[in-house]
Amino acid sequence: MIRALTYALLAFLAITHIAVVGKLSQHENVFPMNEDQDELFVLPSAILKIASFDYKGIVSDYLFIKGIVYIGGSVQKGSSQKFNINESQWCAFYNMMQISTDLDPYFQDPYYIANAFLTWDAGMTREANSLLEKGSRYRNWDWSLPFFSGFNYFFFLNENDKASEWLMEASRRPGASPTIASLASKIAFKASKTENSISFLEEMIKQTEDESMKKMFAGRVEAYKAILDLEKAVDAYQRKFGKKPSTLERLLKNKIILEVPKEPYGGKFYIDSGGNVRTTSENQLMPFQK
Amino acid sequence: MKVLWPIAYITLKEGIRNRAIYGISLFAFLLLGLNMLIANLAPRDVGKVAVDIALSTISFSGLLIVLFVAINLMAKDLDKKTIHMVLSKPISRSEYIWGKFFGIALILVLTVIFISIFAALSLYILKAGYESFFLRFSWPLVFLAIFFIVMSLILLSALSLLFASFSSTSFITLVLTILTYLVGRSLSDIKALIETASIAGATVSPITAKVVEVAYYIFPNFAFFDIKMNAAHGLSVPIATVFWTVLYCLIYGTLALTAASLVFRRKEFP
Repeated sequence: MIRALTYALLAFLAITHIAVVGKLSQHENVFPMNEDQDELFVLPSAILKIASFDYKGIVSDYLFIKGIVYIGGSVQKGSSQKFNINESQWCAFYNMMQISTDLDPYFQDPYYIANAFLTWDAGMTREANSLLEKGSRYRNWDWSLPFFSGFNYFFFLNENDKASEWLMEASRRPGASPTIASLASKIAFKASKTENSISFLEEMIKQTEDESMKKMFAGRVEAYKAILDLEKAVDAYQRKFGKKPSTLERLLKNKIILEVPKEPYGGKFYIDSGGNVRTTSENQLMPFQK
Repeated sequence: MKVLWPIAYITLKEGIRNRAIYGISLFAFLLLGLNMLIANLAPRDVGKVAVDIALSTISFSGLLIVLFVAINLMAKDLDKKTIHMVLSKPISRSEYIWGKFFGIALILVLTVIFISIFAALSLYILKAGYESFFLRFSWPLVFLAIFFIVMSLILLSALSLLFASFSSTSFITLVLTILTYLVGRSLSDIKALIETASIAGATVSPITAKVVEVAYYIFPNFAFFDIKMNAAHGLSVPIATVFWTVLYCLIYGTLALTAASLVFRRKEFP
């Protein structure tokens, strides 16, 4: 009798326990929190290095995974802005990757991922480059980090000399594609930005494994190729008439081009007052600017 | 030597009978299974994360074995007074210490080998699945790192024998061993922190600097035995480093054990 009662009590408690846990989990987030950074707060690396004892590698892995999970969790579906993250949160993410690589400076992923997010999405190219430069110093066998750094200098910061320097560094490392060296010299001689962008982006497509990034680069290559064709047409017009055309229609009228290429982002190509070929969806084509 | 073996053998047998070893091995086994899931989270450096987890599991479970199995093996003899029976045999006290030490070292080597088999298995499976992310992976470096871990564990247990030789209960031995591990593992980093602080312009009290300096020579430096990062990234370890580390382990270990037998010879049993 007592035994049966004990079992009954046990079953009753188990069921109440589940109910209480369910109720409590709804209350978990009622406490006011500083939503901005609490989740991403990390101890300074000098302290963490001491506190992680024999497990620096694992702590570094943990910080990295925590960082990407945070970024991944803030993806907004169907919004124009890809991430629901404000500037201070991006800074906290950068800090986290910085500390993760302080603990293990040879860890490739934080450099790689921070570069992808901080440049295209956060507009923190300088920060991304400082990470990449740290990474290239330690990972002196890896050509991809100086290559990305060179790309950032060229594409986002318009500093061709630095870009060429980093590309030369990349080309000297084992396994680097021979096109990187020629890219470095082309940039150093200030060849057309459009042409360089195409060769650069094509190299990036080769290096990227992520399919959505590949697609993004491919779309840009398409747009730049169209712009390059139009630029060539503008040059041909200038040779023929001695001045740049004011509109694309003039190119059509004079049979220099047969049709205006389709703009892959749904905008329109046009010629600005300086005679440069541009597109109405430039903010799609060009990186995010702060 | 002839006298050492029976003590070592008994210690080994007693250690293997300890349930804690099975618990720790099971824990290691679960962690290594988890390795399959966690390493996947890294987009590119799967090999690095996998090696990190495998080696950290080995080092952590080894540490648990030192703290909860090895220490008990000597302390239990003292606590339960079975030591009287051992010492009534024609065995000197220092032979007893050395015999215990070899038995404990044997237990550590055997359990680490056992856990390493699973660690290697988890690395092997991950490597087969992600061949392109294991480009810098090298088995010799992983095994060298495991060898270094074993050395550090053996050194720690030698020190625990020194503590057991003069402390009255096993609890004190445990606390002293843990403290030594914590101090010994973080000394290098603290020394580096103090040095960089003075470069950065922050003032460090000269007493603190001196204390750290002195501690640096007294406490064992377990950071010397940590080459997990080299193993994870395939960075070669110079032969000279291996030589000096082995020598360091031998000298420090012998020092600790000699001191232990000296103290133990004078110990009065209640």
